Amino acid sequence: MEFRFSEQEERFREEIRDFVKAELPPDWALGMFEEGDSDEEWAFIMSISKKLSQKGWLTMTWPREYGGQGASGWKALVYAEEGGYWGIPGTGMGVSGVSWVGPSLILFGTEEQRRKYMPLIAAGEPDGVWCTGYSEPNAGSDFANLRTQAIRQGDEYVINGQKIWTSAAHQARWCWLAVRTDPKSRSKHEGISIIIVDMKSPGVTVRPIRNYIGNHHFNEVFFDEVRVPVQNLVGEENRGWYQLMRSLGYERGGVAARSYGHNKRVLEELIRYADGQGLTARSEIRQELADVAIDIEVQRLLAYETIWKMSQGKAPTFEPSRDKVLNDEILKRLSTVGMDILGPFSQLRRSGRALKWFRDLGGVCSLYWNLIGMSSAAGTEFTQKNIIGQFGLGLPRSY
Amino acid sequence: MDFSLSSDQELIRSTARKFIENECPREIVRELNRSEKGYDPEIWRKMAELGWMGLALPEEYGGVEGGMIDLALVMEEMGRGLLPGPFFPTVAACSFPILAFGTAEQKERYLPPIAGGEALWSLAVTEESGSNEASGIRMQAKAEGDVYILDGIKLFVPYANMADSLLVAARTSEGLNPREGITVFVVDPRSPGIEIDLLLTTAGDKQCEIRFSRVSVPKANLLGEADRGWPVLELIQQRTALLKSAEMLGGVQAVLEMTTEYSKQRIQFGAAIGSFQAVQHNLVDLFNEVQGLRYLVYEAAWRIDAGLSELSAFPLISMAKAKANQVYQRTCVDCMKLHGAIGFTEELDIGLYHLRTRANLALGGDTRFHLDRIAESWS
Repeated sequence: MEFRFSEQEERFREEIRDFVKAELPPDWALGMFEEGDSDEEWAFIMSISKKLSQKGWLTMTWPREYGGQGASGWKALVYAEEGGYWGIPGTGMGVSGVSWVGPSLILFGTEEQRRKYMPLIAAGEPDGVWCTGYSEPNAGSDFANLRTQAIRQGDEYVINGQKIWTSAAHQARWCWLAVRTDPKSRSKHEGISIIIVDMKSPGVTVRPIRNYIGNHHFNEVFFDEVRVPVQNLVGEENRGWYQLMRSLGYERGGVAARSYGHNKRVLEELIRYADGQGLTARSEIRQELADVAIDIEVQRLLAYETIWKMSQGKAPTFEPSRDKVLNDEILKRLSTVGMDILGPFSQLRRSGRALKWFRDLGGVCSLYWNLIGMSSAAGTEFTQKNIIGQFGLGLPRSY
Repeated sequence: MDFSLSSDQELIRSTARKFIENECPREIVRELNRSEKGYDPEIWRKMAELGWMGLALPEEYGGVEGGMIDLALVMEEMGRGLLPGPFFPTVAACSFPILAFGTAEQKERYLPPIAGGEALWSLAVTEESGSNEASGIRMQAKAEGDVYILDGIKLFVPYANMADSLLVAARTSEGLNPREGITVFVVDPRSPGIEIDLLLTTAGDKQCEIRFSRVSVPKANLLGEADRGWPVLELIQQRTALLKSAEMLGGVQAVLEMTTEYSKQRIQFGAAIGSFQAVQHNLVDLFNEVQGLRYLVYEAAWRIDAGLSELSAFPLISMAKAKANQVYQRTCVDCMKLHGAIGFTEELDIGLYHLRTRANLALGGDTRFHLDRIAESWS
């Protein structure tokens, strides 16, 4: 056992911190969303993506021929951890591009697809921004129940249907779309395919969904007779579900490390503020912070364990679900105790005439309101626990 | 970063598991819980042959010179198998402070018999307040010529009924800071003026009350310096918290495994109860907690082995113990409930684990104590 990074990895950590000092505004606050809240924010985020790309960091784990550096999982973990701690924006290219489009193309794509799409993502170009069309109105947790159809006509697929909760659809150039290509398949898991759709295609409509505190992150996306060349099929027709399952664990490897960095920073800000207000003298505040601190260290260790397993050539199964359940729990506790620490100031918005009274503390205000919706992204707590029960404990399917 | 055990460590673990399964099956555990001694000298002798008592002690004192991870692995298996006996007070609580604070003569005299399994030790710190804090130590030790005279009562002293020697913390001076003025003594429990009574505990483990009435202890028996006993207690605190956490980790793993297995076998409404989400998600919550606890324990042990400063290890040790306390209690209670009424019977082993909950929480520090220690590390 060895619980420390190599000197090389630690030096890389310093390099990232230098980048943060040079490129992010001194008052840069932690934000929750990769997509930003306005056009100006999005432009800034994309400018950082470009700089991360120039550093070679944006897609560092990809092979060199597609714009990567062939970096180790440990180096990527340090990058993710620091990214979370400092709130470095623009690391995901609309979330999907860096995390799963590239890695899935390596696993299942054609050489032509890899050469066409991956360098655009790696270069931090606006044309390298992706969204992912999985969820539908009747396919949430039961995502294999999706209905959006792609019917092959000659050299094209004709797509009709609707996606929902699609992050970054309003900014994306491409959609990584799950569709039903065989409506007569024996089971709902068969007959699903992954197709790449140009968001500029005629028949694609994006409609924003505002959440209950007025932020726009999610969208509805409508497909009306959208024509896509058959070359845009990823992997095998009707085998999309199985491809997704295989790549899922790998896609989520770095998420836990970024979350850990983020949570550690939020905790530090809370402790500093609570100390300044004399609140750590109150045992219920002090002990709750200490208790969350334990789970944040646990999160670090489990995130590292996941990467370690992958470095041993083991495909993660339940681990990403475990790490997500833990992260949601930590965020809930951090934001609740954070809002308690803020007291009446927790009610204020970031704008308006009384801005001087606004106190953010590592973004806990935004976290507190948005977490309820964000925690269901990429699988609710209940779905994750089903996965852990089946693959971690070997229990029978429970749904 | 490397999360794997070395092949030596794998061997330590598998040997310990097999040994405890063979030598101390649950009938024996139950028998020893009912016995006066609370341990089996024959098993103890074999443990010494395996080198367990000296696992993390230097070779010059008869040890094997292994590390804290090695010892944690053995403790983990003891927790899994519920092995009763004075290993924890002798090795976890007493051997390390002797090694760290003892004079050359004290180390030479006390450590080889510990490593060889010939001497049993115990730790007498807790008093009537039941507190782990320095302020809880009220027992008086007054210097009179070449000796100190000890007066007072110590409680919850594990296996004092069998101990050959005791470490006793007493107050030698009064100051504003309760952490000052404490002194740690090596005391022979057969000294005149000492009376020992067994306390009857729910778990059947042996804990004692010791009454000291004008007990004379030579000045040469100080461990560390007079009035500066707190660092000795700190070290004891940290080693016991870490190793108790390891032991508890083994216990919760066993409880979780037996309950998961039960939930696959037990059929109700025509299906295994483990296929019901209410049951399955509860098991998943415990499973997640146990994995977290495991690495807190291992990393804390690793930090000590890697020679990182005590400061770097100590918040992690407190985290491990606080987590162990929470997870042990929750796992035992939830898993007994998941078994249904049968989980509540004497016949099943699961109750044996839960009966140990309170002793496990108290030894090495309770949850609130450790949460405060974590907060202390921020400033």
